[in-house]
Amino acid sequence: MRLTEDRAKAWLRQRGFSLPQGGVATTPDEAADLAAELGGGVAVKALIPTGRRGKAGAIRLLEGREAAHQAAQDLLGQEVNGHLVRRLYVEAQVAIADEMYLGFGFSGRLPKLVISSLGGVDIEQTFEQDPEAIVSHDIEPLTDFAPWHAVALWEEAGAQGPLLAKLGRLTHGLLAAFRAADGITLEINPLAADSDGNLHLVGTMMEIDDNALFRHPEWSADALAPDDEGGEAANQRERKVREIDKSVPGGAVRYSELDGDIGLFVAGGGAGLLQHDMIIAAGGRPANHTDISPGPTPDKMKAVFDAIFENPRTKALLVGFNHLQMAPADRVIEALVASLGDNPVDPRSFPIVVRVFGPAEKEARELAALVPGIHYLPRSASLKDGVDLIVELSQAAKAREATS
Amino acid sequence: MSILIDGDSRVVVQGITGFQGRFDTKYCLQYGTRIVAGVTPGRGGEEIEGVPVYNTVQAAVDKEGADVAVIYVPAAAVRDAVMEAAEAGVRVILATTENVPRHDAAAAVAATRRAASWLVGFNTNGMVTPGQCRLGGIGGDRTEDIYVPGRIGVCSRSGGMSAELAVTLRDAGRGVSTCVSMGGDPITGRTMDEFAGLFEADPESDAIVVFGEPGSENEQRLAAALAAGKIKKPVVALIAGEFQEQYPAGVSFGHMAAMISSPDDSASAKRRVLAEAGAHIAASLADIPRLLDEVL
Repeated sequence: MRLTEDRAKAWLRQRGFSLPQGGVATTPDEAADLAAELGGGVAVKALIPTGRRGKAGAIRLLEGREAAHQAAQDLLGQEVNGHLVRRLYVEAQVAIADEMYLGFGFSGRLPKLVISSLGGVDIEQTFEQDPEAIVSHDIEPLTDFAPWHAVALWEEAGAQGPLLAKLGRLTHGLLAAFRAADGITLEINPLAADSDGNLHLVGTMMEIDDNALFRHPEWSADALAPDDEGGEAANQRERKVREIDKSVPGGAVRYSELDGDIGLFVAGGGAGLLQHDMIIAAGGRPANHTDISPGPTPDKMKAVFDAIFENPRTKALLVGFNHLQMAPADRVIEALVASLGDNPVDPRSFPIVVRVFGPAEKEARELAALVPGIHYLPRSASLKDGVDLIVELSQAAKAREATS
Repeated sequence: MSILIDGDSRVVVQGITGFQGRFDTKYCLQYGTRIVAGVTPGRGGEEIEGVPVYNTVQAAVDKEGADVAVIYVPAAAVRDAVMEAAEAGVRVILATTENVPRHDAAAAVAATRRAASWLVGFNTNGMVTPGQCRLGGIGGDRTEDIYVPGRIGVCSRSGGMSAELAVTLRDAGRGVSTCVSMGGDPITGRTMDEFAGLFEADPESDAIVVFGEPGSENEQRLAAALAAGKIKKPVVALIAGEFQEQYPAGVSFGHMAAMISSPDDSASAKRRVLAEAGAHIAASLADIPRLLDEVL
């Protein structure tokens, strides 16, 4: 989950890091009050969990009550990078003498630290044009990373003088914060030094690990907030599946809509990807992608079936599992039949192809046989057989619809 | 021969008293896997499916000579379970748990590598050396039917696809030496090139079939190993997920990703680097036996 700037900064402030003063505004009046209270130059920023806000015009540098009011009026209600702007962060500008960059992330199996004495918005350009200015370092999880290790890296990155010791301590502290937060990335850009040589965490981006939310009650509520990752872009059906997925434990389900007309209920990451590729190769267009982990609860599976049937674009459905190995097949069909009961879908005109083999397959087949029109493929059928049949049937159904 | 596991492997199941642990243990025992012990702290002294349960992995190693561990514990506990097995000297550790917190995964992998044990997973559905030893849920209730003995080493990023690959090979008259679902989480104990290295050294594997996906650097590492001549046996690769390239990527968050990941970890980029390194790229499942016939 990507944290918005206010949450990331509040969390870091709590841990004792030095950040510019700032606060959240939800109306132009609040933004104006905050700007007046902070005094001097301020930044008014859209609080959305996305990067490239500056380039999208969602960060305004200004001074005074009126300018802040105007900027807030502009920004609130706007859509930036796919997110609706509902809240703003109004923050005191720091007099920056020097801009640096510091980031933690993962590369392969190891956490990685990336630093540069040349911070700022064009850090990626620096990385391409002047790779020597960027120092990256693998962090061995079971080995101590001490402040003096960080000092050596900052020295390599060209930092010098009294800043070095401060950078060493800060980097060490931020690694601890990165771990404590279960961070996926923690990026400070710019990491600013003022003219007195004090360091300030000016730009802060933090993405935390959804898989570790169980030990972070402080963020669990935010996980369902509408402005989390893709939250605004997600439609009602996608959001409903995500809510059920997050609120019920057990195997994960994911559902995202696309612009085609063949609904996909495909399990197992790999086989799902392959079937999606094959549908496109066969001339079909999926209406959605799903990723179903082993053993989701019947409720979760039904929620995905419901979303597929409620999507007005969906005209056919492929239930394409690989050879089930850890879950009973009848559970899948139970969820399908239950969803068919709740939705105005008739498999005699809305093609449904099922390729589900494995434990409790006999029961699954008996259950599916009660619904006329479901094509339950025989054991010998390959993944490609299922894909070819659903593409063929959906094209035939479309042709019928066109002539009638 | 085979890689990592065979008929002599002595297996301890961590989390044997849970639903999935017990479910798979039953099928593994039926298959003939020598499951010699289970571990659930606080349940020592009990028996599950006739297997004695201990409180610690160390006890299972000391009393029953376990040298392979299979782990069924929730994500919150899996880091410790892996570290416990590594510390007890277990040679091969298979962790079925998926969606493991990234920092936990990194620490557990570091611990197993330090102990020189092989961690398979996270997010694996198991591995099998047909006719000898099966770990995890691989093959469900039909492992004999899906995985027939043969001379092709299989390594798949996807658990479910390992069955599709094995069935495709079986229907073409071939079988597998060992099939390993290496794990689908972003961080796995060992990388695809390392599994390929084991097959390279296995005299009873003639070729290697891999299944890859977008994301991670596994396929790129395999390509590098091929290019460096570390893998000389034929490699046939099926890489899925090309469709993702048709959809726009979201706006990235910050700059880290651009600076620390491969610039292109898409399916087609992986196919390209593997092909350049000498791997044979399968366009479909049906293509795999055809390519094997050409190179063997």
